[in-house]
This record gives sequence, C-alpha cells and structure tokens, in this order.
Amino acid sequence: MTPSAFGIDVLQRVMDAAALRQKVIAQNVANVNTPGYRRLAVEFEGEMAKALGTPGGSPAGVSPTVVVADGPERVDGNTVDLDREMGDLTKNGLLYQAAAQIVASRMASLRSAVSGR
Amino acid sequence: MPFSDMFAASAISGSGLSAERYRMEVIANNIANANSTKSANGGPFRRQEVVFAEVLGGSAGAPTFGGVQAVDLVEDTETPLNRVHMPGHPEADAEGYVTLPNVNLPMEMVNLMTASRAYEANLRAAQTFRTLNEQALLILRG
Repeated sequence: MTPSAFGIDVLQRVMDAAALRQKVIAQNVANVNTPGYRRLAVEFEGEMAKALGTPGGSPAGVSPTVVVADGPERVDGNTVDLDREMGDLTKNGLLYQAAAQIVASRMASLRSAVSGR
Repeated sequence: MPFSDMFAASAISGSGLSAERYRMEVIANNIANANSTKSANGGPFRRQEVVFAEVLGGSAGAPTFGGVQAVDLVEDTETPLNRVHMPGHPEADAEGYVTLPNVNLPMEMVNLMTASRAYEANLRAAQTFRTLNEQALLILRG
C-alpha cells in the first residue's frame, strides 16, 4: 500500500485549500469597512469532486483558485456580509480540523504498521 | 503551504484589527471634540473620517493578501456645522450665534459599534488561525 492509497494526498489538497480559504475569509473580514471592496472566495470542492469522479482523474492536478464572488452590494459598494463570513470561517475551520485529524490517524496507522506493534 | 504563510495569514487579521482600532480612535476623537469651537486650522472642529483601502499583491491567479490599510484621514466638510444661540459665549458672532462642530452623536455611536463588531470579527479570524495551526502541528505527534 502506498501512502496515496491512504488518501493522504487528497487530504493534503483539502488542507491546502482550507488554509487558502482561511486567508481569503480573513481578507474579506479585514475589508468589511472598505468602500467598493468585492468579496473573494475559493473554488476547490467542485474541481476535486470532478477529478475524483472521472476514471483516471488525479487529485494532483487540482489546485484551489481565488475568485471574485458576487453577493448583495451595500450602499458603499462593498459586498462583504460579516455573518456569512463568520459562518464560513467556522465551517472552513472544521473542514481543516477534520482533514488534519484524519491525516494524523492515517499517519498513526502507518506508524504502527512500520513498527509492527 | 509554505511555513512562513502561517504567520503571514495572521498578519491579515492583524491589519484589520489595527485599522478598526484606528477608526475607533478617530471616532473617540470626534466625540471628545463634539463641542470644540477652536481647531488647529482655526474655526470649529470638523468631524474626521478614516479611509480604508484593500491591500492585495501578487498576480490575478495567485494573489497574496495584505489585509486592509487606513490610507487617509479626511475632514467631513459636507455635513453642515451646527449653529446655536449662545450670546454669552466668547466665540459668539454679532448675532449671538456660536458655530459648533458638525459632530452628530448618534452617527458616531453607530460608527463606533460597527468598528467594534468588525474588530471582534477580525479577532475571531485570528483565533481560528491559531486553532488550525495547532491542529496541523498535532499531525507530527501522531
């Protein structure tokens, strides 16, 4: 069994995407009072699902992309909704933690296989 | 993710925290000077407002995030100054009217609340960062 069979490469991609999204959310929150600011978002899950769903598709080619997202505009031209960003922040944090803990447990399995105990 | 990114990321929230704090300071200064009839440029005090601008580097495909920056502090010359009849005041004009600052307390309080909520949100983002990094380090423990 190779490490990739443990799904660690996919999990690593998920963690990379979640880390990038965390930065994007922080950027949105920091600019909640900047007039004319357009909120940013990270696109990743759809691409990853497509890569994993197609035969011969590899998660290695999937990388998260930052896009300008649309949303309701306030009078000052800003599209950041603080409640939405806080919700996304929690959700994204949980995703990252879940991926990190699965990686940790897979690593523990590998370690016990290697040590034979 | 490069290791240095973990710290660059908390700098985004840090810039938000310091920008919002600066805004709160300016609002506090407006409130403190709500009745100042003399200012540095002569005449009554005029309420001030901070101008925020986004800091974004890198290219369109791979942007680097710098958070936010307070780029300017402008005087509000749009809102009219208040005129109050106070003949005994040393700053009163020939008709007995004193020109007071254009500081509007309800408006300042609302702005203060927005700034304070935005500060909390930035703090939340920074705290989440810390939790994520701790989780990443836990992988090493196994």
